[in-house]
Amino acid sequence: MISLTGLNLILPQLIIALAAIIVMLSIAVKRCHRFTNLFTLLSFAAAAISVLYIPRGSFGVSSLFVVDGFGKFFTVLIACAGFVITLMSYHYLNAREKRNEEYYILLLLSSLGALTMVISNHFVSFFLSLEVLSVSLYALIGYLKEEPAGIESGIKYLVLAAVSSSFLLFGIALIYMQTGHLDLSGIAAGLSSSGEFSGVFIAGLAMVIVGIGFKMALVPFHLWTPDIYAGASAPVSAFVATVSKGAVFAFLLRLFYSTGGLENKNVWTVFTIIAVASMLFGNWLALRQQNIKRLLAYSSIGHLGYLMVAFLAITDRGMQAATFYLVVYFTGMLAAFGTVIYMSNKKGEALYIDDYRGLFWKKPWLAAIFTTVMLSLAGIPLTAGFLGKLYLLTAGTEVGIWLLVIVLVVSSGIGLFYYLRVVAVMFAGKNENEASSEPVIGKIFPHGLVLTLLFLLLLWFGVYPSSLLEIIQQIASVIR
Amino acid sequence: MIYLLQEELSKKVMDVNDIASYLPIGIQIVCAAGLVAFLMLVTHLLGPKRKTADKLQSFTSGIESHGDARQPVAIKYFLVAILFVLFDVEVIFFYPYAVNFKGLGWSGFWAVLLFVGFFLCGFIYIIKKGALKWEE
Repeated sequence: MISLTGLNLILPQLIIALAAIIVMLSIAVKRCHRFTNLFTLLSFAAAAISVLYIPRGSFGVSSLFVVDGFGKFFTVLIACAGFVITLMSYHYLNAREKRNEEYYILLLLSSLGALTMVISNHFVSFFLSLEVLSVSLYALIGYLKEEPAGIESGIKYLVLAAVSSSFLLFGIALIYMQTGHLDLSGIAAGLSSSGEFSGVFIAGLAMVIVGIGFKMALVPFHLWTPDIYAGASAPVSAFVATVSKGAVFAFLLRLFYSTGGLENKNVWTVFTIIAVASMLFGNWLALRQQNIKRLLAYSSIGHLGYLMVAFLAITDRGMQAATFYLVVYFTGMLAAFGTVIYMSNKKGEALYIDDYRGLFWKKPWLAAIFTTVMLSLAGIPLTAGFLGKLYLLTAGTEVGIWLLVIVLVVSSGIGLFYYLRVVAVMFAGKNENEASSEPVIGKIFPHGLVLTLLFLLLLWFGVYPSSLLEIIQQIASVIR
Repeated sequence: MIYLLQEELSKKVMDVNDIASYLPIGIQIVCAAGLVAFLMLVTHLLGPKRKTADKLQSFTSGIESHGDARQPVAIKYFLVAILFVLFDVEVIFFYPYAVNFKGLGWSGFWAVLLFVGFFLCGFIYIIKKGALKWEE
């Protein structure tokens, strides 16, 4: 049992859990979209701020969770992403769905899963939080009732995620069989005492990699990504791209760094192949996409591949680079999907690249924001994406993983093409076939404001990254 | 396998993991698969085969089958089924608590009360949503 004194350590998680229940009860009393949205916003903000009240240092909460600088950093990141997604959902849901209060329960619950995952120190808590995250995602992805594509992708995600979960569970069972422990420190101890990895343990680890690789959409397990991104509503796609992937990546770092699983040559090789394939295929397949959400899906596969380079460096610097890049990736993806939401209207989303033709001449500010986002994702100097990639490359070259570094450079080159294609379309001549006269969803408040903020963040991190880096340097060495 | 029952467990955990201890399970799998294969083979070889049109039709307790099984069913049935599962699971948690009622003491009581409290919130929501109104 958790004693009452440990409760302040998991304050952000408690706030989000309570908020989900309060939202649910408030819907039972009276439906009010504005209130629900505001309350969700407040609880995300409260969760992010409550991290300040957690004392410094590393504390275990029972044997399931560990609250340390790393966990706190990701808690804040996820809460902020939740905040932004909630803000962006308001006008979108108002325009496209009648009953939209339940959306916020699901959003809070899946954020809760992500928040508990980043402080998990035990396979049981990891698996439970993964299920909380994905079960609410099934419903979120198919939330728009009038949208057949959404329901289809919800079912797709349900089936595939269930299969990947069963892989994960079997892998956990095999690891438990070999080491006799489910907590990460116990597994580390069991490994160091036995020395060699046995066949059973390798099999277990392989299955865990399948499960985690699916959630992070790394290449052999990536096939669901474009369909789900294209079918789900844009705010939910943003959530899947950022919070869901980021939380699993945080646990991946914790799992392999604290158990030393990467010391094994075979495991390292497997991850190298996955990383190389993700970088190449993600960027390569994005080249010919006409649908902007599919393009972003493939691009996110590529970005997760880049992150693996820093993960495979197994150094403090690698970890700092990965964390920095993840923040940049979160900002970029949220802004990219934010633009898609902005441009959508009652009838549907602005899915195709042609919908953005001549955007610069109609909405120059939005086009400037979207251009910056694309350049940041591509990694052009003066944006955060460039510095993020620079740190990844530094981390890679330091330990001499040349194959990964070379592939990163080559695939970034490939990636430049499709990012610039979107930019070129925005600055091209005016759209001749003004088919949809429906007004777009985006409003100055809060939508334009959020996009501007994200845009400024991208520039801020790109020009003056030391403020963020100082924080990251403090937390990154704690995990070892 | 028998020493598992006799001696302390902690010593033997690593011993259980060697391949030899899986022998009984292996034999079990071979027996199970073998029995199925054997029975299928024997019926195939020994049984008479008379394929008439009547015999190849689907059989529903002697009544002639009609219509399609894939008709839409009212969503209410699903809601009730899901609610049943929820309360079923709740009972699963109650049972071990009832067995250990004294041992867990007050802290156990508060924990279960919290659990039931969260559960009730969900129940209030579902009632207010009209999940149990059958008239409409």
